[in-house]
Amino acid sequence: MNTPLLEIEDLYAGVAGKEIIKGFNLTINEGEVHAIMGPNGAGKSTLSYLLCGKPGYEITSGVIKFRGKNLMTMSVEERACEGIFLIMQYPVEIPGVPVTSFLKYAVNAQRKYHNQPELDTMEFIKMLREEGRKLGIDAEMLKRPVNVGFSGGEKKRLETLQMAVLKPQLAILDEADSGLDIDALKIVAEGVNNLRDNKRSLLVITHYQRLLNYIVPDFVHVFADGRIVKSGDKNLALELEEKGYAEFVKDK
Amino acid sequence: MSGLIQEVKLFGYNIPRIEGLREKARASFWMPTVKTQAWKYTKLHSLKVDDFVVEPSKFLEEIEGKEIEEHCCCGENCHQHGESCSCGHHHEEREKHECKCRNKKHLPFAAYELHFENGKFVPIYPATPSGVEIMTLMEAFAIGEENHLLGKYIDYAKYPFAALNTAYLEEGLFIHIHKSAKLDKPLALINHTYGGQENLLVNIRNLIVLEDDAKAELVEYYHYSGEPKSRYFNNIVNEIYLGAGAELDHCRYQNEAYKAVHLALNSVRIKTQGIYNGFCLQKGADLGRSETQVRLLEKNAKAEVNAAYLMNGWATLDTTTDIEHLSPETYSSQLIKGVVGGEAKGVFQGKIYIAQDAQKTEGRQLHKALLLSDTAEVDVKPELEIFADDVKCSHGAACGELDQEQLFYMRSRGIGEKDAKQMLINAYFTDVMARIHNIKIQEWLQNEI
Ligand SMILES: Nc1ncnc2c1ncn2[C@@H]1O[C@H](COP(=O)(O)OP(=O)(O)OP(=O)(O)O)[C@@H](O)[C@H]1O
Ligand SMILES: [Mg+2]
Repeated sequence: MNTPLLEIEDLYAGVAGKEIIKGFNLTINEGEVHAIMGPNGAGKSTLSYLLCGKPGYEITSGVIKFRGKNLMTMSVEERACEGIFLIMQYPVEIPGVPVTSFLKYAVNAQRKYHNQPELDTMEFIKMLREEGRKLGIDAEMLKRPVNVGFSGGEKKRLETLQMAVLKPQLAILDEADSGLDIDALKIVAEGVNNLRDNKRSLLVITHYQRLLNYIVPDFVHVFADGRIVKSGDKNLALELEEKGYAEFVKDK
Repeated sequence: MSGLIQEVKLFGYNIPRIEGLREKARASFWMPTVKTQAWKYTKLHSLKVDDFVVEPSKFLEEIEGKEIEEHCCCGENCHQHGESCSCGHHHEEREKHECKCRNKKHLPFAAYELHFENGKFVPIYPATPSGVEIMTLMEAFAIGEENHLLGKYIDYAKYPFAALNTAYLEEGLFIHIHKSAKLDKPLALINHTYGGQENLLVNIRNLIVLEDDAKAELVEYYHYSGEPKSRYFNNIVNEIYLGAGAELDHCRYQNEAYKAVHLALNSVRIKTQGIYNGFCLQKGADLGRSETQVRLLEKNAKAEVNAAYLMNGWATLDTTTDIEHLSPETYSSQLIKGVVGGEAKGVFQGKIYIAQDAQKTEGRQLHKALLLSDTAEVDVKPELEIFADDVKCSHGAACGELDQEQLFYMRSRGIGEKDAKQMLINAYFTDVMARIHNIKIQEWLQNEI
């Protein structure tokens, strides 16, 4: 059996002195798609930030391994270069930094990490335009500062574009579907699916079963009060859609 | 009075007009104290050591027939070896008369370059278009071209370092752009300071006159190479006269040694329809001030005074402006942005004065700074003196830190922390840099950040 891509064991963690993750366990193997669903405030975004190493988020106990390596001692950028990518629930605006130069810098930083030569600028721009076109992001948008003045849906599409360009091993989608209209949802899902192969894995955080019609998960987990309280296959999502989370939160 | 005023024999000691200016200035110089309002935030203690050295006059040495060895700064060979050559550099062996000035910086864009070395003008003149006259200030005095303009409008009671500058009046240029003349590329005054010149006090005075409808771009670049701890004091005054419809883009970049002192005063007078577009990037020096006084004399005179400063360590860099709207329908705009790290201190003092009859005038001012550390400091003093009632006037100041969310976002894409910070700093300066008209100058400075 291959080393799992991601292993989280008995994780306790929080932010600002508040414990949010309480005994979380999850193993993701190469090529698998896991969905996490759970009520607001359960700690889903917190988990995704912990995986990316966001400053301020602290682990009190437990282990996170990525490809068998201790992830917890790695810096944010190291984790990105190792292949973790997060589609953020609330993408950040960066005035003064155009999308194209930002992404070119990111791609080359990751290539440098892997001792690969920098990409030729012209080739990169061509590739970016091509990928952008698939996601409905035109050349004009690529010249604009990152996320500045982008609509909610455009931001999510730009996140997907970044993922397409950076080709991560593990993509975490934190509500990639929020704020998307039906067509955009399909476009984003398609962008994500294009990346799928038997090596890359996905962790899909969502409130709506609908996204999972397009990105079909191998496993669905119910996340409540800082840990996984139930796991199942894709049918669990349908069940949740019907019954809600009452069953899981009432015993609190 | 002060150790800064010393006895030196300078060119023109027998020409009453020149010596008169110096004498008056010597008598007028005063050292600001901790109680001096204009220097409240920018402390001058690094000047209060009486050990500054003023080099002997290059002009007099030439006149007195002292043999001037050709040196490679001028593209010639230096005939000396084992001792200092007249350019002030030390050459070890005859074969190696590569003096440091061989490495002298040129600009990454085409310009009419004029070089100064340790405060002395290197008399090589570029071939400028007709209508553009450039000569040393002393020449201009000698042949009467100076026209009694020098120092005419500078109040020494307010600007003591302009008095100091005038007390040593000698080095500097007279740049005269005749009526309707235009330059196809910028004029660039490149000031090189080399190491080993401890405690040199340099005074440069430039008189810049644009006649009606003349148009020019002027770049001033101060840089340093050599022993990093070298300490010196560059004291610069530019007097700028813009005639009706004249336009000057004036871009200054101060990147002195980190223990140096650089004080500069730009005194600008603008007639009707004249436009002054000033920009200053301060990055070097332990103590730096870029002060700009603009007088909008007649209707439709316009001025922009923009600036950026970027600092670390223990430096104090100061941007001071004083914009006087003296006629109706005049316009001014200032955008000043700073990034301060370490234990450094940024200072901005901005004054807008609107005279009683200067109706329908517009004066805008905005200062913004980013603090990169807990120990970094910014002091801001806006001052509005408005005596007219029908004016549009605004000022604002904001101080912030690097956005942690933005930093995390960038790093989560694989960009290293240091690079991400640098990108954010660059981004921070984009809007103020965009106010430089010449794209090539803009790119040059953007790369220097
Ligand atoms: N910086 C912080 N300081 C204090 N509390 C925080 C902080 N960040 C998150 N929390 C709290 O931690 C809990 C989990 O937040 P988190 O954003 O992870 O929830 P979530 O599961 O993603 O919710 P949603 O479905 O609404 O996105 C919430 O109660 C939230 O208020
Ligand atoms: Mg969330």
